Amino acid sequence: MKKILVACGNGIATSTVVASKIDDYLKENSFNAKIDKTKLLEVRSSGNDYDLVVTTGTFSGELDVPIINGMSLLTGIGQEATLEEILETLKNM
Amino acid sequence: MLDAVMSVFNWLIDAGPTVMLPIIMITVGLVVGLPFQKAFKSGLTIGIGFVGIRLILDFLAQNLGPAARGMAERIGVQLDVLDVGWGSIAAVTWASPIIIFIIIAIFITNIIMIISRTTNTLNVDIWNYHHLAIVGIMVHFVTDNVYLGIAASVVMAATTFKIADWSQPLVEDYFGIPGVTLPTVSATSSMVIAWPLNWLLDHIPGIRKIDFQLDDAQKYLGVFGEQSVLGLLMGTAIGLLADYDIASALQLGVQMGAVLVIIPQMTSFFVQGLMPISQQAQKWSQEKFKGRELFIGLDAAVIVGNQNVINTALVLIPLTLGMALFLPGNRMLPFADLAIITFRIALVVALTKGNFFRNIIIGFVVMAAILYGGSYTAPYLTELAAVVGIDVAAIAGGGAILISSFSATSLTHSLLIFLAFIGPLHITMPIMVIVIAAYWYILGNVKPKKEENNTLEEELQN
Repeated sequence: MKKILVACGNGIATSTVVASKIDDYLKENSFNAKIDKTKLLEVRSSGNDYDLVVTTGTFSGELDVPIINGMSLLTGIGQEATLEEILETLKNM
Repeated sequence: MLDAVMSVFNWLIDAGPTVMLPIIMITVGLVVGLPFQKAFKSGLTIGIGFVGIRLILDFLAQNLGPAARGMAERIGVQLDVLDVGWGSIAAVTWASPIIIFIIIAIFITNIIMIISRTTNTLNVDIWNYHHLAIVGIMVHFVTDNVYLGIAASVVMAATTFKIADWSQPLVEDYFGIPGVTLPTVSATSSMVIAWPLNWLLDHIPGIRKIDFQLDDAQKYLGVFGEQSVLGLLMGTAIGLLADYDIASALQLGVQMGAVLVIIPQMTSFFVQGLMPISQQAQKWSQEKFKGRELFIGLDAAVIVGNQNVINTALVLIPLTLGMALFLPGNRMLPFADLAIITFRIALVVALTKGNFFRNIIIGFVVMAAILYGGSYTAPYLTELAAVVGIDVAAIAGGGAILISSFSATSLTHSLLIFLAFIGPLHITMPIMVIVIAAYWYILGNVKPKKEENNTLEEELQN
């Protein structure tokens, strides 16, 4: 099973919104994944333990795993494209 | 009819927040058109979040309370106000019996301001209303006047939407996020201090030119950003200062690490529960204002990942701890909110364009103001929390332990509005109006329209 890490400023508010949207979308597409949430401050130390990192906002660090910007899942603008990108990235691993 | 409503309402209040909160939220969910099952789950989830917060706060007070007292007795620092974190205070806020009226008032304020074109910020992130609501709830608690409480939250809301409007160019230019504003008081409040202070620094010869950037903070100070490690360090240190033996001090350390990791988990139940309601509000308002170009109000969480923000915060965390020890008159023991100083500094970093020297100076003043605000309003907040069943003082062994955080009325903006509404109104109201008008005149004139995005910064630079 693939593991996704969703990170935002405090690991609470926006990451909860983004994580549940990703979860819904993956379930609709019958894709099994485990989603965890964290603070952006902790991404550097834990991000590489996951298959994919989704951040809300700008994360300027570097990781060995793909990072996808999940801002559109908050504003609702361009949401579908981002969700598709997440699914494709996971499938192509 | 009114009697019947009042008696139901009184019954709800008597039943306490664990019953009231789910019932009210289920009702709100149904009113905004959620299917029953979803509304029910939302309401229950929020109730569970509240129970969780209460449990963890009991645990925190039980263990940290005596240690903080021991430390005070032994080394003579009187830090009897525990920073229990913004999430705990938010739980107190949502558990208030008048929360629902305040939320509706804030929502209506936003809609009216959008229709009358006084703001371009559409803020339906209901969760984050807690920052605005707590001010009104505290005013109501002190004055026992519901209308005054609601008015205080409305003023908080209106001014916060304006600060969000005015700082929109910073968000777009510095963080590269177009189309959004960040009406999150934990971030916007700092601007009340940062705008004038940055202007002042611009006008001091010699100082105006100092500019350096910082890259390596995370390498050396990164541990301060990890909740678990921060809790361990703080708990162990406080234990040792309180003359605990090594084993007990380490116990306290691991316990505090647990507290800092668990509080956010509990808080996220609130967010989860409120999300369906927020989404209904978002759908409704985006349909209503179709064709009008509006900024979507988001949680400031979207900008705190910036490296300069993180670096500045990592330096400010130990600095704030030092301030807590040495600032005369401070009573707050920084703890649960240390790791989210990022929010308090994020917009400041954008304002100074990452000038590290200025970030630290402005951050220093912002954090000092938060410590004082938190110390001063802790007695009110502690009593308010006791009313909704979070009676920390009793649990901590009656040793007069108070609670506070880096949020609520510790934030300068919230503190000022709170003071204006609990003071002698014939004096404080005119002052409040004049101050708001002054900010509005200066910042509003600088950046009246979206097309002139850059003028604010240029104006402040000149």
